[in-house]
Amino acid sequence: MQSKSAKISIAIVSLILGIMLAVQFKTTASNNATQIPARVEDVAQQLNSATQERDALAEEVVSLQAKLSNVRKNDEAMADLEEELQKTRMAAGTTAAEGPGIILTVNDIPRKIQPGEDPNDTIVHDSDLNTLVNDLKSSGAEAISVNDQRIIAMSEIRCASTLMLINTRRVGPPFVIKATGNPDMLESGMNINGGWLSIMKQWGYQISMQKSEKVQIPAYNGPIRFEYSVPAEKGEKAE
Amino acid sequence: MWLLIIFCLLIGLAIGFQMPVLLPLIYAKYLSIAILAALDSVFGGIRGYMEDGFDTTIFVSGFIVNALLAAGLAYIGDKLGVELYLAAVIVFGVRIFQNLAIIRRYLVKKY
Repeated sequence: MQSKSAKISIAIVSLILGIMLAVQFKTTASNNATQIPARVEDVAQQLNSATQERDALAEEVVSLQAKLSNVRKNDEAMADLEEELQKTRMAAGTTAAEGPGIILTVNDIPRKIQPGEDPNDTIVHDSDLNTLVNDLKSSGAEAISVNDQRIIAMSEIRCASTLMLINTRRVGPPFVIKATGNPDMLESGMNINGGWLSIMKQWGYQISMQKSEKVQIPAYNGPIRFEYSVPAEKGEKAE
Repeated sequence: MWLLIIFCLLIGLAIGFQMPVLLPLIYAKYLSIAILAALDSVFGGIRGYMEDGFDTTIFVSGFIVNALLAAGLAYIGDKLGVELYLAAVIVFGVRIFQNLAIIRRYLVKKY
């Protein structure tokens, strides 16, 4: 009798124990699967920081929306400014340019130097290039480069022994001068009688000039520093 | 006897796995303590059965009360900020191993 009741109670207890174990196994498994941080404090802290972040972001949304509507209002002004900026960059030469124009190639006089002759008489000088570039400018060139060095307002062309320094970069012959503008105007302006190009041709320099529908002029890629100059009339143009 | 225990355990496991109950994580710890207490009771009961000193009342009440007490102590410990469930783990763990050792000796003597 005692044995029977003992068996029954042990059976029931084992059954309950099995159920408890199974539930615990399942709970532990799902716990491990989701990797939820065990500490309540951790979760609370995460919630706190997430809430703070959300609030900050909401504020940012408000301010950005205000800015956006501002920008929309000033859209026309912005477009004008953008256009102005683009124009100014083109004028300054800090952006690449392309368009119809001419490509002018100048090289040294090919003949052998006679004994007693000055070799300086046969090479292209900085003064030649300066004069040619100046002639191009006066013929209506809009953007000029020499051997892929963009000529900007402060660009120098000067001799450095056998080479030439343009934008402090060394370049050598042949010199390829590219200019955008009205090709016919440029060509006739360069070929004008008594112009420097015709004089160089008479001396025997190798010169070729061709009109092109698409001349690519690179941007000036050197530093632009103003150490001593400041804008004299501030704010006048921005209005 | 042994077959009965293992059979009932397996049935209980099957029922438990089929049940849609999933304990909240916070209570998983207490259930684990309760399971330890229950295991201790079961092994104690087996030991008593082999010693012929088995008392159904003591066995069943020990199973229920030990499990509830252990879980309750762990809960109170959590509220107090003391890891009291560690005490339960140690006590029940030691007792389980002791009971197992005694059961093993009886089995060795018997066969």
